Amino acid sequence: MNIFVEFFLVMLKVCWAIVMAGFKWLIRPKEKSVAGQVCVITGAGGGLGRLFAKEFARRRATLVLWDINSHSNEETAEMVRQIYREQDNPMSKEGAVGGVEEVPPFQPQVYTYVLDVGKRESVYSTAEKVRREVGEVDLLINNAGVVSGHHLLECPDELIERTMVVNCHAHFWTTKAFLPKMLEMNHGHIVTVASSLGLFSTAGVEDYCASKFGAIGFHESLSHEIQASEKDGIKMTLVCPYLVDTGMFRGCRIRKEIEPFLPPLRPEFCVKQAMRAILTDQPMICTPRIVYMVNFMKSILPFEAIVCMYRFLGADKCMYPFLAQRKEAMNNNEAKNGI
Amino acid sequence: MEMKVLGCALLFPFQIVFSILKATVRFFTRQKRRDLGTDVVLITGGGRGIGRHLAKEFAKQGARKVILWGRTEKCLKETCEEISMTGTECHYFVCDVGNREEVYQQAKVLREKVGDVTILVNNAAVVHGKSLMESDDDALLKTQHINTLGQFWTTKAFLPRMLELCNGHVVCINSILSLSSIPGAIDYCTSKASSYAFMESLTLGLLDCPGVGCTTVLPFHTDTEMFQGMRVRFPKLFPPLNPEMVAERTVDAVRTNTAFVVLPWTMHFLVILKSLLPQSALEEIHKFSGSYTCMNTFKGRT
Repeated sequence: MNIFVEFFLVMLKVCWAIVMAGFKWLIRPKEKSVAGQVCVITGAGGGLGRLFAKEFARRRATLVLWDINSHSNEETAEMVRQIYREQDNPMSKEGAVGGVEEVPPFQPQVYTYVLDVGKRESVYSTAEKVRREVGEVDLLINNAGVVSGHHLLECPDELIERTMVVNCHAHFWTTKAFLPKMLEMNHGHIVTVASSLGLFSTAGVEDYCASKFGAIGFHESLSHEIQASEKDGIKMTLVCPYLVDTGMFRGCRIRKEIEPFLPPLRPEFCVKQAMRAILTDQPMICTPRIVYMVNFMKSILPFEAIVCMYRFLGADKCMYPFLAQRKEAMNNNEAKNGI
Repeated sequence: MEMKVLGCALLFPFQIVFSILKATVRFFTRQKRRDLGTDVVLITGGGRGIGRHLAKEFAKQGARKVILWGRTEKCLKETCEEISMTGTECHYFVCDVGNREEVYQQAKVLREKVGDVTILVNNAAVVHGKSLMESDDDALLKTQHINTLGQFWTTKAFLPRMLELCNGHVVCINSILSLSSIPGAIDYCTSKASSYAFMESLTLGLLDCPGVGCTTVLPFHTDTEMFQGMRVRFPKLFPPLNPEMVAERTVDAVRTNTAFVVLPWTMHFLVILKSLLPQSALEEIHKFSGSYTCMNTFKGRT
């Protein structure tokens, strides 16, 4: 009998959750402050990682930039310092004009670390270094990603493995490194930057789709674990952008006629949307919104209908031009080397 | 050009409706089935659990040869002998699919000794059943290597020949946990989600290849040793699946060239709910259904 009571209560809670979700959609919740908090961004040297770093810098978070490429990492760090300085100048002016001595505002800093997130030992040792030099981490942005750009049967095994390691397994290590302290303090935020290719696959990039699905599977499972342990201070956000115009998938295109309706996303727009989701503790964000619709359609339609939908959109083979272009680029490189 | 696009756009909804009707009709009627008489079937993780029953079912349905791969020779030997007694030619090789070099080497041996594989069943899987913080790093990686990367290596080893011959089928025994995660099996959920994406991508890629197909089976909790001790809150409403039934439905799907099979059928609603409801609603449903505690009593295989 108490089972039915419980069932009824669950139904009420579900309805309430739906109402609250609708409410949040209508009335934007207030964004939380991240000023002074420590934010780790993997893959910070370029693409979305760099833009995330700049957005967090504007909100005066302390930044810890991780990337395998030290040069681009330092470039990002310099941009961040520039933003910090720009924000300091107006306050200095006000101080000078006022003539009253002010308490110096908190001075956020940026730290850079060069490491391969695919290597477990590197992640753990660098995390230890971060804890010593910067302090406890409040936000973790798992953003690092690579793509092999080969058909499955032509792809060297090492590249397949590398895609899985960087895009998926690295999340194990970064999370294991920082989550224990977050759990202890019951405070933290973990962001997983995945892809719409983590919600529906496309032909030709089996390893990339597998790694992004894996990252999402990990994120969801971890969400449930944190929920089950009742640590409500730890938030998680999953970012699933449609193809972003960062050059990673240069040459990828859907059907010519559909393209005006679904152009590749501008990276700035994508990051802006993601930042809003992160600062309002939204569990998941798909950009643009049509991705939600496609995801829903995919769950209710039989596979043959899904294939029709994909073919109509040109999504089933959209990676083939990218792969062809990549192969051409490699051939050119080989030709140059040959000469 | 404009007319062509317009035609496609108008035709699109009819195609969708037609596909739905076709799927509905297929669900209720018996279809023409592929004859397995010329097929050589390779089953990874074939020594026990679903793999063992798959081997028996393929043999029963008339496969010419059955080959078993696994990590435990004793189980493989037992299953092999059992199948040989029914009259089907059966071989076994000890092979850890998580080890890339081993897969390629054993694939070569297999081609020399037995011949070309025409049906590849990726069934090998492990689960450790611990939360992330309790999991050992090497155990996490082992799960990824066997459940996901192992599938890459076996497919790379056998698919080229299938494409050459225009005859073949790649099967993946996955899990409903790839679409709906639970706590306490984070390594397994991650690896099966990757595996699912691989199969979906491969399925889309092979649609234009004549004679080569893919099947992915997503069973609910199955009554095998692998998930021993796992406790479902409403066992009468959602009883654990019988491995014989899973094997039977899998072989049936292979013979009818069905791309995705969700067992039981009601799990579709779970997937639909997940894409429809907000996160907090899903959490309440998970709590009520016992998903958050079902792995607490997990024992598994030692």
